[in-house]
Amino acid sequence: MKRYLRLHRIFVVQYLKKLMEYKVDFLLGAIGLLITQAIQILFLGIIFSQIPSLIGYTFPQILFIYGFSLIPKSLDHLLTDNLWMVGYRIVRKGEFDKYLTRPINTLFHVVSENFCVDAFGEMLSCILLLGYSIPQLDMPFHWYTIPLALVAVVFATLIYTSLKIMTAAIAFWTKASGHIIHMLYMVNDFSKYPVTIYNKAVQTIITYVIPFAFTAYYPASYFLTGKNPLFCIGGTVIAGTVMFALAVFVWNRGLRAYESVGS
Amino acid sequence: MSRIKRFFRTYKPFTRAGMQEMIAYRANFICHLIGEIMAAFIMYFVWKAVFLSSDSETFMGFTMEDMVVYIFITFLTGYMTYSDGAFAVGEEIIDGSIAMRMIKPCSFEMCFLFQELGSRLISISMIFVPMVAGVEIYRYAVCGEVRFQIGYFLLYIVSLLLAYMISFYFNVCYGFMAFFFKNLWGTTLIKETLVSFLSGAIIPLAFMPSGLAAVLNILPFASLSYTPVMIYMGMYSTSQILWSFGLQIFWVVVMYGVTKLIWRSAVRHLSVQGG
Repeated sequence: MKRYLRLHRIFVVQYLKKLMEYKVDFLLGAIGLLITQAIQILFLGIIFSQIPSLIGYTFPQILFIYGFSLIPKSLDHLLTDNLWMVGYRIVRKGEFDKYLTRPINTLFHVVSENFCVDAFGEMLSCILLLGYSIPQLDMPFHWYTIPLALVAVVFATLIYTSLKIMTAAIAFWTKASGHIIHMLYMVNDFSKYPVTIYNKAVQTIITYVIPFAFTAYYPASYFLTGKNPLFCIGGTVIAGTVMFALAVFVWNRGLRAYESVGS
Repeated sequence: MSRIKRFFRTYKPFTRAGMQEMIAYRANFICHLIGEIMAAFIMYFVWKAVFLSSDSETFMGFTMEDMVVYIFITFLTGYMTYSDGAFAVGEEIIDGSIAMRMIKPCSFEMCFLFQELGSRLISISMIFVPMVAGVEIYRYAVCGEVRFQIGYFLLYIVSLLLAYMISFYFNVCYGFMAFFFKNLWGTTLIKETLVSFLSGAIIPLAFMPSGLAAVLNILPFASLSYTPVMIYMGMYSTSQILWSFGLQIFWVVVMYGVTKLIWRSAVRHLSVQGG
């Protein structure tokens, strides 16, 4: 474990060196993500200029849920962005061989090789949203709120990462799966809003099948109201654990199916 | 007459290549399509919640029925006018393969255009008809009468074609720009977000402050999405339609001119190393 932490630090330092070389790239990526979020907020602002509440949620509450959804999303983006490359390029070009020859866990190696600082654009919008909405909300606060929030964030991020690992691992069989990861990313947009706006079918899917609702709405609604901790936080922990176990299983099965390009 | 014939004979293989490419990568295409449609459905649910929470039947002049038509026809318009065929042009300049295009007896952007036309034909057959039919069936179910008007639909097609031409030349220009900004992911994200905002694809321009809306209406982006959608919905009067057609044609000409200008200066400064 200690060895892996040290290795991770070395990988990140290497990546940051590479980054210094391309400062503009990083800036453009971060600005792009920031603009994307800003426009979405403007959209919500226009809606709330006409109605006092959206099916019972006030503007600050919606912003809190939206902001909360960006925490696991940006953390996952920051730490595991290289999985996209597995789906798009690494397997198809046979570059995956490299990871198989190293004496460390392949999944760990793939994930820690890249450190996607573009995600700071999302983090900044997340901090702004939470910083703006929390003071306006009357949220229940206890000594355990902060530790629970940390637990929720860790497991919510794990849900994201696990789903990404699973979809990326499909490439071991099909050679490329970037478009499937893309599709998954479109589904995660459902988690930005309260699940109560969707119909039953969509609610069931994003709660029990692709549990994106546990990355944002359920934990966020617990922090807003203090109700249903068992389902909201416990569900996040369970969903994160189950998804991660599944992801590791799929990844390992995929490794067995992997064939190099042979050139 | 024979010149037109020769023109089409020259570019027909590109269309076929585009179609074949689309069929070869059909899994990508279908996954991408499903992803995009889901984004439209999220908008649908958000607006449904807005109308449920509102006391009045309309939201800034739009009824729920209008909003549904707006969301899905905007999605369709965005999908049909999306253009990235010329995206590779920047890369080709860098690696020198653009030289191969220059020695062929055909115009470089026409090659891209006809190739994209091929893939567009496939997506028309797969999505255009079902989408329009779906929207109209929904409208019929909600209002109990057929709201589909063939006249507006035909005008929409004309406007859609003009919007595609603007989008095409705009993206050729962007392809040249991409050559300067190497981070394609970041710049493309910025471009697409700004275009979808400025064209009214995220928020209808009618909902924006009137001063801003007036400016955005004149900019080329409104011509990409908002104008055709408004025409489809029958929101524009005859004079407005004529005016917006004029504006669309104006922007096609401007974008075409800019493309030619950049192409000329790029060719003059181009030096391809070795081979």
